[in-house]
Amino acid sequence: MSDAGSNSGPEGGRERQPDGGTVEATGIGFGRERSDRRSRLGAVRTVARREYRIAARNRREVGLAALFAVFAVGVVAFAALRPDARHDVVVASLVELGIYLVPLVALVVGYDAVVGPEESGTLDTLLALPVTRGTVLVGTVLGRASVLCGASLVGLGLGGVAATILLGSAGVAAYGRFVLVATATAAAFLALSVLVSALAREKTRALGAALGLWVWFVLLHDLLAIGVVAALRPPGPVVAVLALANPLDVFRLLALRGLDTVPVGFAAAASGVGLSTPILVAALAVWIGLPVVVAARAMERRRL
Amino acid sequence: MHAIELDDVTRRYGDVTALDGVTLSVEHGRTVGLLGTNGAGKTTLFRHLVGHETPDSGRIEVVGRSPEAGAAVRERVGYLPERPGFDDALTAREVLGVHAELRGVPAAERDERVERVLATVGLSTAADRRTGGFSKGMTRRLGLGTVLVGTPSVLLLDEPTAGLDPRGVETFHDVVETLADGSGVTVVFSSHALAEVERLCDDVVLLDDGRVRVHGPVEELRLADGSVTVALRLADPGDAGRASEAARTVGGVRGVERGRDGRRLRIDCERSAAFDVLATVRRAVDLDGFEAHEPDLREVFGRHVPTGGSGGGAP
Repeated sequence: MSDAGSNSGPEGGRERQPDGGTVEATGIGFGRERSDRRSRLGAVRTVARREYRIAARNRREVGLAALFAVFAVGVVAFAALRPDARHDVVVASLVELGIYLVPLVALVVGYDAVVGPEESGTLDTLLALPVTRGTVLVGTVLGRASVLCGASLVGLGLGGVAATILLGSAGVAAYGRFVLVATATAAAFLALSVLVSALAREKTRALGAALGLWVWFVLLHDLLAIGVVAALRPPGPVVAVLALANPLDVFRLLALRGLDTVPVGFAAAASGVGLSTPILVAALAVWIGLPVVVAARAMERRRL
Repeated sequence: MHAIELDDVTRRYGDVTALDGVTLSVEHGRTVGLLGTNGAGKTTLFRHLVGHETPDSGRIEVVGRSPEAGAAVRERVGYLPERPGFDDALTAREVLGVHAELRGVPAAERDERVERVLATVGLSTAADRRTGGFSKGMTRRLGLGTVLVGTPSVLLLDEPTAGLDPRGVETFHDVVETLADGSGVTVVFSSHALAEVERLCDDVVLLDDGRVRVHGPVEELRLADGSVTVALRLADPGDAGRASEAARTVGGVRGVERGRDGRRLRIDCERSAAFDVLATVRRAVDLDGFEAHEPDLREVFGRHVPTGGSGGGAP
C-alpha cells in the first residue's frame, strides 16, 4: 500500500460528516480535506477541456481545419481564374457550396456526442462523478464546438488569406462576415446533432437521423418552401417564418447581406420580407441554444 | 443513521422484477459483500444507489439523502460501474486528473493524489499510455483508481475484481483492507468470488431474483445453523463400516459419508458434538488424521440460492 497520507484531522484523524458518519485519513487519499467544491461552470469547463483534448489527440481539429481550408482556398482559387473575379462572387460561391459542406461536417462531429460514450461505457463512468447530466452535455457541446468552430475559423480563414492575395483586400469584411456566419451555422448544426445523439438509443440510428436532418435542411425544406410560396403566395410574415425555420436560409441571408449578388432558391423570396440583421442573428442564436437546452432535458430523462 | 438504507424498494422492467421489495441497511464503515447469481439484481441495486435509476416504489437513502439528489449524493459516493469505460485517446494520468478535478480535489493536491492512486492500483509505469491500449485488467485497475482519487465516504464497486489478474485482485484486497481498517469508509462490492467476500467483508447481502435472501455478518451467517464437518482419515480402510457406526451413535450427528477410497469419512454434526464424534470414533478405530471445518460462504450461498435461481434479471 502506498504511503500513509498526512491528513490527520481533528478527533484523532476522524471527521464527523453531516450524515453522522466519519471519514478518516488513509494511505490512498480518503481523508478529511474538504473538497474544493467546483461550481457547475467549473465542471462544464473541465468536461469541455476533456472533450477538446480527446479531439485534439485524435487530430480531429487539424483534419477539420484542413477540410475547410481545402474547400475555401479551392473555391477562391477557381473563382480567381475568372478575369472579372471579385469578393462578392467568391463569397456567394462559398455560401452556396458551404450550405452542403458546413452542416454535414457539423452533424458528423456531433452525432455521437451522447450515444457514443454511452455505448463505450464512458458516459456511465463520467456520470458516476458528482456532475449533473446537463453539465456533462453542455461541457461536451462546448468541447466539440470549440474544435469545430476553431477549425472553421482557421480553415475558412485561410480562404480569406488566399482571397486577399488573389483579389485584393477590398472585400475582406464580407469574407469575414461569411466566416463568422458559417461558423455560427456549424455550431447550430452541431447543437442539432447533439440533440439527435441525446434522443437516439444507438449510434447507427443517431447517424441516420443526423443525415436525415441534413437532407431535410439542405434539400427538402427549401423545395417545400418554394412550393408553398409558388402555390399559395403567402404573406411576408409566413415567408419570414419559413426562412427562419431553416438555419441554412438564415446563413444565406446573413452571409449574402449587402453583397452585390442575387440570392437563389427560397432565399431569393425570403430576402424581400424585411428580415433584419438582428432578427437573423437572434434566429441563429436560437438555433444554437434551443437544441442544447432540449438535449439537456432529454439527457436528464435518458435511461442509461 | 446508516450509510445506506433501502426500504421496500421495488423496480420492474416490463415483466421482469429486478428489485422486489428490497429492505436493507448498511452501517457506516462496514465492508459489505453483495452476492447473487447473474441477473439477481446486484447491478440494478448499485444503479439505484447512485441515482442512475429510480425505483417504482420504496425509499432509498445514501449518506442521508435520496440518490435522486444526483450530484450532491455522488459527491460522497464513489461508484465503479460493472464495465467502466474510458476515452481511448486519454492516458491513465489524464483520466485520473479529470476525475480528481470533477471530484473537487484541490488543484494544489491533484497531481500528488493522481500519482498516489496510480501507484496504489499499480499503473505508475503505464500512467502515460493511452487507455485505448489497456488490457481489460488494466482498465479495471484504472476504474478502481477513479473511485480512489476522490474522498467519498461510501464506495460502491460492481464486480471490481472481474477480469483482474491475481496481482490486481491482491491490490484490490489491499485497498479494501486499508479502508476497512478504521477509515470510516463504507464499502459495498459485488463479487462471485465467495472466498474473497468471506475474507474482506464484515457483512454479506445475498440477492436472488431481486430479493434479499440473507443479510448479516459473515461469521453469523456461516455459523447460523451451528453445524460443523469433521473429516477423518482412517488408518485401515477396512474400518470404515465400524467408524461409521460409531459416529452414528453420537447425538447431534446429521450425516456420515464415506470417501471413494474407503479411508476417508466425512461427518456432518452439530458444533457441540464435534469433540464427542472424534473421541468416539477414535475409541473404535485407528485414525491417521482428522480435520474439522465450519461452513463457508459457498455453503451458505448454496443453502439459500437454489440451483438455477435468478431466472429473471434486469435488462
